[in-house]
Amino acid sequence: MEGKTIISVGIDIGTSTTKFVVSHLKYAKVSNHFSLPRYEIVERNVVYESPMYSTPLKGKRDEIDLETLVGWLEDQYQKAGVDIRDVKSGAVIITGETATKKNAESILHYLAEKSGDFVVAIAGASLEALLAGKGSGAFSRSKEVKGIIANLDIGGGTANVVLFQRGKVLGTITYHVGGRLIELSQNGEITFISPSIQSWLDSKNYRLYINQKISFTEIQQIVQQMCNDMLDSLTGQQPIRSDDSLIHSTSFQVIPPIDEVMISGGIGRLLEEEAPKTIYDTAIYGDVGPLLAHEVVKAIEKCSLKLIKATQTSRATVIGAGMQSTEISGATIHVASSRLPIRNLPIMMIELDHHQINNRDYVYKQIKQAMMDWKQYIQEDQELPFAICMKGIFHCSYSVLKEIAKILFLLYEKNFPNHSIIVVICEDDIAKAFGQLLVLQSKNKVDIISIDQVIVEQGDYIDIGETINQSMVPVVVKTLAFTKS
Amino acid sequence: MNQVDIQRIVEKVMVELETRVSRQLKENIDEKECEKKFHYTTFDWLTSVPNPKFPEGIDELRKVTPARIGVWRTGTRPLTKTILKLQLDHAAAVDAVSGEVLDSLLEEFGLFTVETCYENKEVYLKRPDKGRVLTEEAVKTIQEKCVKKPQVQIVVSDGLSASAIEANLRDIYPALLDSLKVNGLTQGTPFFVKGGRVACMDHIGEILQPEVLVLLIGERPGLVSANSMSAYMCYRPRKGTVESDRTVVSNIHSGGTPPVEAGAYIGTVLRKMIEQKASGVRLEL
Repeated sequence: MEGKTIISVGIDIGTSTTKFVVSHLKYAKVSNHFSLPRYEIVERNVVYESPMYSTPLKGKRDEIDLETLVGWLEDQYQKAGVDIRDVKSGAVIITGETATKKNAESILHYLAEKSGDFVVAIAGASLEALLAGKGSGAFSRSKEVKGIIANLDIGGGTANVVLFQRGKVLGTITYHVGGRLIELSQNGEITFISPSIQSWLDSKNYRLYINQKISFTEIQQIVQQMCNDMLDSLTGQQPIRSDDSLIHSTSFQVIPPIDEVMISGGIGRLLEEEAPKTIYDTAIYGDVGPLLAHEVVKAIEKCSLKLIKATQTSRATVIGAGMQSTEISGATIHVASSRLPIRNLPIMMIELDHHQINNRDYVYKQIKQAMMDWKQYIQEDQELPFAICMKGIFHCSYSVLKEIAKILFLLYEKNFPNHSIIVVICEDDIAKAFGQLLVLQSKNKVDIISIDQVIVEQGDYIDIGETINQSMVPVVVKTLAFTKS
Repeated sequence: MNQVDIQRIVEKVMVELETRVSRQLKENIDEKECEKKFHYTTFDWLTSVPNPKFPEGIDELRKVTPARIGVWRTGTRPLTKTILKLQLDHAAAVDAVSGEVLDSLLEEFGLFTVETCYENKEVYLKRPDKGRVLTEEAVKTIQEKCVKKPQVQIVVSDGLSASAIEANLRDIYPALLDSLKVNGLTQGTPFFVKGGRVACMDHIGEILQPEVLVLLIGERPGLVSANSMSAYMCYRPRKGTVESDRTVVSNIHSGGTPPVEAGAYIGTVLRKMIEQKASGVRLEL
């Protein structure tokens, strides 16, 4: 299979460490000569991994030191031998507690812009969980086994859990469980307690304070309780409640039964080391990490879940971000190339019932309603570009498709007169036909981007990159953090 | 006749008319009911493994192929339903070969008809070479009616499946015309070839000398679909064109390559052929 390569980077700015990887994504034609062209990313290889770098913070540790971080990144690009202009895709992700730092968002977008042509900004616990699960090897394992596999990516501040089954994402849940939530000195003095674990500590009647001296047994008991509570929740013994102080956010109301577990993140890496037996061993990194790693394993074994070794641990998220965030669209699409790349488009859904699709009034009503709802939803920001996801227009005839395009354009022009672009996303292979109908409708008054074979949901954001091989575009779909139940 | 008489007659006629109309309506309804009874949906034909150990696994496999897998069995044989469906699909395939495209469909798209030297279906099947050459009369008609040296020449042919044309032309043809518009291409005078084989493109190429020619032709029907169509495209087709100079999009039907998307794609391919002055394996897509 002859293929071409896209250079992709991943940057993970975590609670305790920042990591950087460069990977090569090889895409190739997977269709035969007699079909419509179809390309896929057939190989994803990491070609450079940075050393672990302590995330530089300043002020009262509530701000990221951008200058130092940028300096380090520039150095890394040089070491990797990559020219920023050659980078065609990738993602910058701010994870765990770092995401709550004062300047997190502006830094994220600044770095995304500066790191290459189509490097996107990603934040949010659920995306973090997903990318970690893809980077750790849990996602590919789920395609080989029958049961549900959970990836627990446990870092300094949070435990991000994603559940996969047969290559599908079932959902994510994030807990306030992490190695750096409580920090210790090697003589057993507490040096830091994260505000995010405070309410759980209170609810369990653990009264900890800074400079308090704590014994190994005491801290072990606390960490053990933390792990047991998380596992009770994951195995469904403790139902999900919105006032559960250990849960950060979740997409699940009920968690389906899990068969296998993988642990990635910094805690996953600590599993390779020996279990600490004294407070001195525990605090070797100045926090409870080593203890947490071994207590999580005990809690998992207690629930008789099968623990599978992750292929990547502390670098799972950055590898996920660098290698797994980018997909490519179908190869028969219509794009106004001059408008690409286009970033951070929220998704507006238009769902049409297949049985009523021939009914012009019904289609008109549905599209109008969707646009009305959208306008209400984005009230303040009417100029904000967005992407329309059309569902249910697959098996329809060309004349029906034409009618739908006509209605869509008419209503779009009426409701969003200041927009100079229409972006449409379809699941099935139909974007070229739909795109050309919109082009003919619009009479070149607005630019049309119509892509397919990309799956998005309400609440997602999408980034669309520049055309590759004159026929398709790279896309990154970002599912936003789920709210607490 | 006085007025009363007239009134009486009118009333009588009215009553008679009403009963007739209602009787006719009833017959129509009965017919429809009957048709419904003999119409089976995919769901009606569905059979599956009872209590499978790994249902998601079977679903995944079935989703990636139209082949008859996971249909269950009785003893060592397929179920009666499976056998009947196979026979039905086989019959549909045979029908597709022996069928003819309705004139009304061709009129709908303003296509006139010419014939190859195929004589009849039997000869057509035994002598593929005859389907590649147009009759003398056909050549004359084409010369009379068609624009010479067009940029794009569209030809439609029944080939081995008339039902492929009936099933897909309404979707692929207007999509193709729109894609010519979007790609800034102009077409000559389109027509229909009865009893055509793929290589009749070469003969037409000699007569009209188009820059590019696209032939929408019914494919050899199979057990998955009897309605599958191909679009063969060629840059300056002529006598002696080799098969590797043809570009093709095949498997166009509702369960394969979507006809509307295929139509929209053809315009792009034709534009690239004109730009690169090439088709087939030498064309870069």
